[in-house]
Amino acid sequence: MLILRLAWRNLFRNIRRTVLTCMLIASSLLTIILMDGVMLGMIDVMIGSLTHTLEGEAQINSRGFRDDFEPSIRINNYREIQNELVHDPVVRGASARIIVGAMIASSYNSAGALVYGVDAASEKDVSKIEEAVYAGHFLSGQEREILLGRPMAELLEVELGDRLVLTSSTVDSKEIVQELFRLSGLFEFGPETLDENLIFINLDKAQSLFELTGAAHQIAIRFNRPEMANDPTLNIYKSFNNDQTEANGWLALQPTMGAMLEMTGYSTLIVGGILFLLASLGIINSMFMSIYERIYEFGVIKSVGTRPAEIIKLILTEAFFLALISCFFGIILGYFVSSYFSTNGIPMGRMEMSGIVLDGNMNTILEPYQFINFPIYVTLLTLIAAIYPALFASKIVPTEALQKAL
Amino acid sequence: MIPLINTVALSRFFGTGEAMVKALDEVSLSIEPGEFTAIVGPSGSGKSTLLHLIGGLDKPDSGTVALNGTNIADMSGNKLSDFRRDNIGFVFQAYNLIPVLSAAENIEYIMLLQGITAVKRRIRVKEMLDIVGLAGMENRRPAQLSGGQQQRVAVARAMASNPSIILADEPTANLDSKTGISLLNVMKDLNQNRNMTFVFSTHDQKIIERARRLVYLRDGKIEKEETQ
Ligand SMILES: Nc1ncnc2c1ncn2[C@@H]1O[C@H](COP(=O)(O)OP(=O)(O)O)[C@@H](O)[C@H]1O
Ligand SMILES: [Mg+2]
Repeated sequence: MLILRLAWRNLFRNIRRTVLTCMLIASSLLTIILMDGVMLGMIDVMIGSLTHTLEGEAQINSRGFRDDFEPSIRINNYREIQNELVHDPVVRGASARIIVGAMIASSYNSAGALVYGVDAASEKDVSKIEEAVYAGHFLSGQEREILLGRPMAELLEVELGDRLVLTSSTVDSKEIVQELFRLSGLFEFGPETLDENLIFINLDKAQSLFELTGAAHQIAIRFNRPEMANDPTLNIYKSFNNDQTEANGWLALQPTMGAMLEMTGYSTLIVGGILFLLASLGIINSMFMSIYERIYEFGVIKSVGTRPAEIIKLILTEAFFLALISCFFGIILGYFVSSYFSTNGIPMGRMEMSGIVLDGNMNTILEPYQFINFPIYVTLLTLIAAIYPALFASKIVPTEALQKAL
Repeated sequence: MIPLINTVALSRFFGTGEAMVKALDEVSLSIEPGEFTAIVGPSGSGKSTLLHLIGGLDKPDSGTVALNGTNIADMSGNKLSDFRRDNIGFVFQAYNLIPVLSAAENIEYIMLLQGITAVKRRIRVKEMLDIVGLAGMENRRPAQLSGGQQQRVAVARAMASNPSIILADEPTANLDSKTGISLLNVMKDLNQNRNMTFVFSTHDQKIIERARRLVYLRDGKIEKEETQ
C-alpha cells in the first residue's frame, strides 16, 4: 500500500508533465477509438451497400449456377425453400430470382443485358431495387413491365412507355424467343456494372418467357440481424448445402469483400501501431525526465536497501497509474466524441470503392471492445514503454547519484 | 571480541595515471559495538568514500571491509541490498527523505522493505519519532519540517530497521550549529541508551568536541586517532 501511495503521489510532483503525458496517452486512446468507430461505420456502409442493394446477405443458388450463370441449372422446388425460409425466425426476407442473359433492342439501338426476373413483393424485403427507381414505377406484376438502368436507357434512347424487345432463347429447347415490353421504370443503383447491364422484369413473366415454369436460379436472403449472415451454424447453411443447392453468406459470395475487410483491419492496426509508437516515445521521454529529477532520491533509497526490482516495480506502478488516469479520460472523451459522430455522422462526399458506393454521412459505430480492449492495450503499451526507464532507474549507482546532486 | 567493523588496508582510487586520486589509501580501522566515532577531515580527505565503502555502497580497489566478520566486498545484487537494509542505517548530509511521503511514511518505508507487518511498523514508527523528539509530526511532509527535523527523521528511519550500525555522512553540515548540536545529542542519546553504534563524518569543531573517538583523515590516510 505504501508503494502504491508513493507511486501515486510521485505522479503529482510535476503536475504539468503528468497532465501533458496523460493528454498524449488519452488522445491516442481517443484517436484509436474514433478511428475504429469510423472503420466499423465504413465497413457497415460498404457491407450494407453490397448486400442490401441487390445481392442479399446470403443466397441460395442452384448448385453450379454461379460458376457461369448457365440458365438450365435451376432450383425446381424454390417455393418450398422460400416457404421454409420465410418461416425461419432469423430470416427477414427471401426473394426468388431468374437470371438469364438476353439481347434488348429499342427502335434505335440494341444491347446485351442480364435479365433478372424478380418478384416485386418479396424483393421489397431483400433488395433496394424499388428505392433505386427514380422515374416511372417499380414492378407491379403487370406483364410487360421492364426496368432499365439510366445508362442502358440512354444507350437505347428510350423514355418511359417506349417499346423494347427482349430476345433470348428458351432454356431447355434453345428456341429463340422474342417479347415486347414497355419501359415502366428507370433505376440507378450507383455502381455502373449494375446500372449498365441489369434489366428487371416480373418473375412469372420470366418463368414463362424462358420456359422455367416453377423454377428459379437464386434466392436472395436478408436476415433480421445482418451480423449473423456469415454464421456457418445457421440452419439455412446446414439445410441448403446439398447436391441441388448451395447456400452462402455474402462473405463467401464476395471473397474480394473479405479481403477488403481484412485490409481495413490491417490499416487500423498499422495506424494504431504508429500512433502507439509515437505515444510510447512521449511516455519514455516523460518517465526519463521524472527519473532524472529524482536521481538523488533513487540514490538514497537504494543506499538504504531498496532492491533494484523494487525500484522497477515503483516506476512501473507509476506508469500504470499514469495509464489508468489517461484511460479514464480517454474513455470518457472517446465515448462522447464517438457518440456524437454516431448520431450526427461525419460528412463524407460520394465515393465509389470497388463497385461499392458510399454516399452521404458516415456514422461511427461504438462497440464495447473499443472501451475495454483498447484501454487495456494502451495500458500494456504504457507499461512496456516504462520498462526501459524503469531498468535505468534500477541501475542507478548510489554513490554516483549522491555525488551528482549535491 | 571481534570488532563490529574491521577494514584492512582499504583503498579506493578514482581516475587513472597522472589524474589518479587516492581517495582512500590503505585505511585500516576497527570499530567496536557501541562506539561513537567521528571521522574528521577537511573536504576531499576521503570521509564519504570511507563511509560508502563501510556501508557497501562502493567497492574498494584493494583491502577488505568486514561487518560482524562478513566481508561486504564479496556481496552484490539483492544480497547486498538486503544486507544494507538489515544491518546498516544511513544518514546523508541532506535530502534524505522521500518528499512525497510523510515523516511517518518515510520511517515506515524501510520496514516495509524488511517485510515487517503493518501493525508492528506503526508501533515502531511512533516509538522512533518519540525518540528523536518529533512526536506529533507523523503526518508532516519533509517540506513542512525544518532541516534539523528532517535530519532527525532520517536518524529515526536509520534506527527503524534495527541496524548494527548507523553511518552518517556529515549529518550536520547543512544545519546551523545549534541545530547540529541538538541532532548530535539525539544521536548520542541513542548511542548511550540503546547502545547504537554510530560512525559519522564532520569537519565542524563543535561537533568534533562531542565525539568520543576521533579518526582524523587527510588525503585518504588516517592521520591520527584520539579518544576523549
Ligand atoms: N566518484 C568519484 N569520482 C572521482 N573522484 C571522486 C569520486 N568520489 C570521490 N572522489 C574524489 O576522492 C576524494 C575524496 O572524496 P570524498 O570521499 O568525497 O571526500 P570528503 O567526503 O572527505 O569530502 C576527492 O578528491 C574526490 O574528488
Ligand atoms: Mg563528503
